Amino acid sequence: MVNSMLQVKNLVKYFPIKKGVFRKTVGWIKAVDDISFEIYEGETLGLVGESGCGKTTTALTILRLEEPTKGQIIFNGRDITRINKRDMRKERKNMQIIFQDPYSSLDPRMKIKDIIAEGMSTHSMLKNAQERYKRVGELLERVGIPDKYMDRFPHEFSGGQRQRIGIARALALEPKIIMCDEAVSALDVSIRSQIINLLKDLQKEYNLTYLFVAHDLSVIKYISDRVIVMYLGKIVEIADKKEFFNNTLHPYAQALISAVPVPNPDYKKKRIILQGDVPSPANPPKGCRFHPRCSKVMKICSEIEPKLNEIKEKHFVACHLYTH
Amino acid sequence: MINNRKPLLEVKDLKTYFFTEDGVVKAVDGVDFEVYQGETLGIVGESACGKSVTAFSIMKLLDYPGKTVGGEVIFKGENLLEKTEDEMRRIRGKEIAMIFQEPMTALNPVLTVGFQISEALMIHFKISKEEAMKKSVELLKKVGIPIPEQRVNEYPHQLSGGMRQRAMIAMAMSCDPSLLIADEPTTALDVTIQAQILDLMRSLLKDFNGSLIMITHDLGVIAEIADRIAVMYAGKVVEHADKKTIFHNPLHPYTFGLLTSIPRLDLELKRLDTIPGIVPDPLHFPVGCKFNPRCRFATDRCKEEEPCLVKVEEGHLVRCWNIESVIKEVKKGLLVGV
Amino acid sequence: MNRTLKKLFSNAASLTGIILLVFFIIIAIFAPVIAPPFSDDPYQIPRMSWDVHPQPPGFPMSDNIREIYDYMGTEIKYDKAICGTAEGGYDIFYGLIWGTRTAFKIGIITVSLSMLIGILIGSISAYFGKWVDEILMRLTDIFLSFPFLVAAMVLTTVLGRGLDKVMIALIVFGWMGYARVIRGSILSAKEETYVMAAKALGVKDAKIIWKHLLPNTIFPVLIQGSMNIGSMVITAAALSFLGVGAPVGYADWGQMVSFARNWIIGAPGNAGQYWYTVFYPGIFIVLFVLAWNLIGDTLRDILDPRLRGEL
Repeated sequence: MVNSMLQVKNLVKYFPIKKGVFRKTVGWIKAVDDISFEIYEGETLGLVGESGCGKTTTALTILRLEEPTKGQIIFNGRDITRINKRDMRKERKNMQIIFQDPYSSLDPRMKIKDIIAEGMSTHSMLKNAQERYKRVGELLERVGIPDKYMDRFPHEFSGGQRQRIGIARALALEPKIIMCDEAVSALDVSIRSQIINLLKDLQKEYNLTYLFVAHDLSVIKYISDRVIVMYLGKIVEIADKKEFFNNTLHPYAQALISAVPVPNPDYKKKRIILQGDVPSPANPPKGCRFHPRCSKVMKICSEIEPKLNEIKEKHFVACHLYTH
Repeated sequence: MINNRKPLLEVKDLKTYFFTEDGVVKAVDGVDFEVYQGETLGIVGESACGKSVTAFSIMKLLDYPGKTVGGEVIFKGENLLEKTEDEMRRIRGKEIAMIFQEPMTALNPVLTVGFQISEALMIHFKISKEEAMKKSVELLKKVGIPIPEQRVNEYPHQLSGGMRQRAMIAMAMSCDPSLLIADEPTTALDVTIQAQILDLMRSLLKDFNGSLIMITHDLGVIAEIADRIAVMYAGKVVEHADKKTIFHNPLHPYTFGLLTSIPRLDLELKRLDTIPGIVPDPLHFPVGCKFNPRCRFATDRCKEEEPCLVKVEEGHLVRCWNIESVIKEVKKGLLVGV
Repeated sequence: MNRTLKKLFSNAASLTGIILLVFFIIIAIFAPVIAPPFSDDPYQIPRMSWDVHPQPPGFPMSDNIREIYDYMGTEIKYDKAICGTAEGGYDIFYGLIWGTRTAFKIGIITVSLSMLIGILIGSISAYFGKWVDEILMRLTDIFLSFPFLVAAMVLTTVLGRGLDKVMIALIVFGWMGYARVIRGSILSAKEETYVMAAKALGVKDAKIIWKHLLPNTIFPVLIQGSMNIGSMVITAAALSFLGVGAPVGYADWGQMVSFARNWIIGAPGNAGQYWYTVFYPGIFIVLFVLAWNLIGDTLRDILDPRLRGEL
């Protein structure tokens, strides 16, 4: 029985829309709107969706880099949703993040050895600066950067190398779980596989758990154990990877998979072209949020929002097609 | 030339350099390819490979400190590089049109969509503003924008990303160009929107029997839309062949490396191959073959001598000393998806 | 850093600025040697004559002055007005030399203190936001709405005459620009991913401001400051010209221009008779301000593309 390391219960994150002279709140961007799921120890949970679906907000809210509007986050059995700043800072040692943009996620005025050591000194790890820098050197070598470069500045490195530095920074704290927020999306194609392989190796070596947020389904397919699909702030499907790709249930997930261009000229696939654009998260459609674009829409879809139900073992879908 | 058909566009040994105060950046240093009527050429490469600069060089839209220093761009039998600015102005928009990656910055934010489409029409055809506006509405409808009569008077920021890209396609297609150059047109879009746009482009091209140069780093997009492919690395074309050949029988180690290192939706992969190292700094290109530091088949010759683009068979050009090694790897079945 | 230095020296404009600045620094340092003071207060300009009319360059010390100095036991270090005298016989040359020190004092002190105030207010405003930001920014707006010169004049009239009162006025009405600049920089730097990354590591707020935000936002403010040194000197000169600045006889370029007030147009038939009263202090002011502006301009050019280049 694998441990459940992180539980998200009915998580909600709304961003206020302010207008007018007195900055009155005139509406809400419902970025994450009541989602619940678990992450098990040692797994890679892929969180996939398009822009505006709330996947990045979910990762940031779990870490309380954005404060949740409602709901609970339970990490290692402890409810961390509302603990105070000081206690949260201590928990941060166990939950780290790798950001999407290798260019803005490293302070341009700090040497990379200090960037990586910052976390260690914040949490008073190791005895002194000398020991910490020694560990910095080890971490750099582990992520594939020669430690003799540790006195250099971020702008002296390529995008892929900066991402490695970001990984080393996260690893330095010996975390239990790492949020990978589109960690390879901004990298060149030939560099992506290097970083993906590195992340996989590190996971085995350090027994890490990943929440891998991405919009690229091919990467999700390669790296995840389980997959969660989000649309406009809601979870529409959860399944084990193989089951998800072999037996995709939700119409949106099916459209998403069919939309991904495959680098194989002979590949034949079922073409599902969605109509229209993604609606605004400030004004989501009534009922099922996907219904205006769904080819299998029924009357009930515009009235009642479907709940996430377990249709097959460990395979959850939020769709009226499977409950009627 | 393939099967004795003359190409619509022939680029021969194109060289465009940037003369910066830090040194000369040889952004495009020997690019050769052909585009045929009614066909799509996919130019694939990563950042700093020179693919965008190639497009700008063809359109002669380069800005200081960039300058095309060599080669030929033969369009419908004439060398564009020898044309004056006035002559190019008559070609741009009308014969050759271009669409860009970021529709928000490519479209003028203070002019309505309709105005921007009409602009091109009024310049190239002597028609009145009302006629141009009418045609603009038709074009918006053709690219699949709902309620075009309303949209034509809206500003770019009022449209979504996918809509803006459609508007840009409408603008580009307005004068029925023979050649459309698309520079990463769908990279900034969500994948479901990308599918819509690619679908649209495919149907428009079929209707007009137009030619398209699709520039992208996404091999999946290339597989869907291109007929022939040119792979670029460090300012040069390293392989040029038709789609099936590139995907099933690549000869250049870089092409091979790209194909084996990307995660795939159509396959169960146990391990991703990698291309070690990083994309070279354009100011400090390696000696010899530009790919040699990252190439697992590199020999001493590769480190000293730059290979030329060689015709291996009809319609297949490669720039490499060691294609036999790649053939061996392909035979081993290491190229997945075959 | 090396690239910055290289750029500073390769550009004709900035090279000129550096040369001028070095020139002024040397004068300031060696003032006691170049123009030895006659009394304990080196800022008191010695007189070469009692005559109200300014005397032309090369004018030798008049005898009655010499008698007075001998009588008082003051050592006469030199007795020729190389650049002439201003109204009341004050030696222009002496005023120029020691005025250089005054100019540096005014420029550096006012800019440093107003920058400090501006950075404090601006960064608090930006980091805490909401009503703190509203109040502080409205305060800034109020201060900005006073016409600078008039406000400075009123303040000096209230506080009394004197160069230090002038500096207070300049500081009180000079911090707003810095506050706005640093507020803008911090507001955008706050959203940078590396700030969020520091938060994710568990770094405390104060440390984030000190280690991450300030080092990345302070340079535009410093450059703005260096450009302002020149304008502070000009404003102080203007106030002195209007009579609210330094006391009579104080070695200050503005003072000296104010001495020239009545002599700008000379006797009929010889309009430029007293040119030296305006020219010498005027050219010093112009060159001093030019030096700072040229250097500041170049620093700004270096900073911007480097920031873009680094990304």
